[in-house]
Amino acid sequence: MLRIDLASRVPVYEQIANGLRAELVSGEFNPGEKLPTVRTLAIDLGVHHNTVAEAYRQLANEGWLELRRHHGAIVLERDRPEAGPDTMDRFTRPLRELIAKGLADGLSPRLLAREMIEIAQRLERKATS
Amino acid sequence: MIQVPIDIHNIIAITNGGVGVLGAAVFWFLPRLTRPDLYFAVTVPRPFRDGPEGKSILRRYRIELIVVLVLAFILFVAGIAWLGVGFTSAAPLIESAAAFIPFYRARQRVLPHAVAPTMIREAELHPVNHVIPGGWIAASGPFILLAGFAAYLWIHGMPSDGSSSGQPGGFPIRSLIVYLLSTGAILGVQTLTLYGLVHWVRPVYAGGPERAHELKFRRTVSAIVLGAEYYVTIQASWIILAPRHNGLLTVGLLPLVFVFVLVVIVLLARLGQGGSRMPTNHQRLSTTSTEPVGDRTPDRYWKLGVFYFNQDDSAVFVEKRFGLGYSLNFARPTAWLILSLILLAPLITILAHLTRFLPRAGA
Repeated sequence: MLRIDLASRVPVYEQIANGLRAELVSGEFNPGEKLPTVRTLAIDLGVHHNTVAEAYRQLANEGWLELRRHHGAIVLERDRPEAGPDTMDRFTRPLRELIAKGLADGLSPRLLAREMIEIAQRLERKATS
Repeated sequence: MIQVPIDIHNIIAITNGGVGVLGAAVFWFLPRLTRPDLYFAVTVPRPFRDGPEGKSILRRYRIELIVVLVLAFILFVAGIAWLGVGFTSAAPLIESAAAFIPFYRARQRVLPHAVAPTMIREAELHPVNHVIPGGWIAASGPFILLAGFAAYLWIHGMPSDGSSSGQPGGFPIRSLIVYLLSTGAILGVQTLTLYGLVHWVRPVYAGGPERAHELKFRRTVSAIVLGAEYYVTIQASWIILAPRHNGLLTVGLLPLVFVFVLVVIVLLARLGQGGSRMPTNHQRLSTTSTEPVGDRTPDRYWKLGVFYFNQDDSAVFVEKRFGLGYSLNFARPTAWLILSLILLAPLITILAHLTRFLPRAGA
């Protein structure tokens, strides 16, 4: 299930791309499978279809999808790329904010660390199974 | 030819009257049939409806409803006396316009209690779209029936000893063309609606028991539209063919409208809007949000509480906020296409008379 928050400061297309990426990483879709059409997903989420199209384009640029006119978005076989010098930086910045929010809300560092490891392991297990 | 003592206009008048009574009953119960966190098309906290303020608003709404419906009935009777039984066709319009007044006044009383609905949106990525009972094979049935009817007319010729009113006088070819065109327009809009129920409706829940209830509600609405398609086709064929056999049969199907509307109301009322009255194990509710979910449309896009206009929403159909079934998103061009098709059927008949393609009544 894909879930977005229209009240969030994160742009909607980015939330959609993030949600779909999580599904793709965890192997919810096999290579060759089709994602819902732009229009279907836009209707289900109650957003403009251009917003979903933007999210699909972003995932296509990352190599997750192939966008074919009249055929929708098809999931591609994607090898894990080499992490570049700015990859970690792009990852750490939002993570810092998220951890700060968790700590501010009373979660312990130990609990946060355990949760993060579990999520990563779960995603990796699903992807390889 | 057996002469029938029953006048078709009286049958239509009685049927419309019966449907009007059913409509009044719907307006009476409607505030209790919508989603629990929507009250008079306003998002409210879930307990508000059953609280003292909510009950007081409902009481006043019902008192005002009785007053306006009595006034509407007087207007209706005066209209029949002044313009004839043909005025009965205006009954649903008069009743809806009258009921809108207490609805709007109740809505104004609820608005100060409005709360912001959740802005969370969900989508099922592996959707199941078995919405039409019998699938598209069942949906193509009315068209096959209509084609069969046309073939019958082609082989056996036009009925020449009766008219649509059940009275002798012939059924000229031009009347048949107009009749078939307007029936085709009605079937067209119904088929488009069926397609829309499969592809253009925005679900409120993407999972959990609420999703299952919602799907059941959508399937029921589809079955009703499908039933209406079959009814329109059978009635259209019957009206033209019946004069061959017996004039009484011409009007035989009309009272079925009353039965059909009654069944539709009972079916939908039992489910509640979007299946919201179906029993749910509250331990298993899919949402954990403390904000009211409503129908996941922001209040500000509902003009007067009944017209949805949201350019940022791709859905063509959304759940009605004060009613049972679906409403159009008027910001989508497809919605205007559907609306145009709805108006096309009566427009074809009016144009046929205006352009003198058909003779004017009494000419």
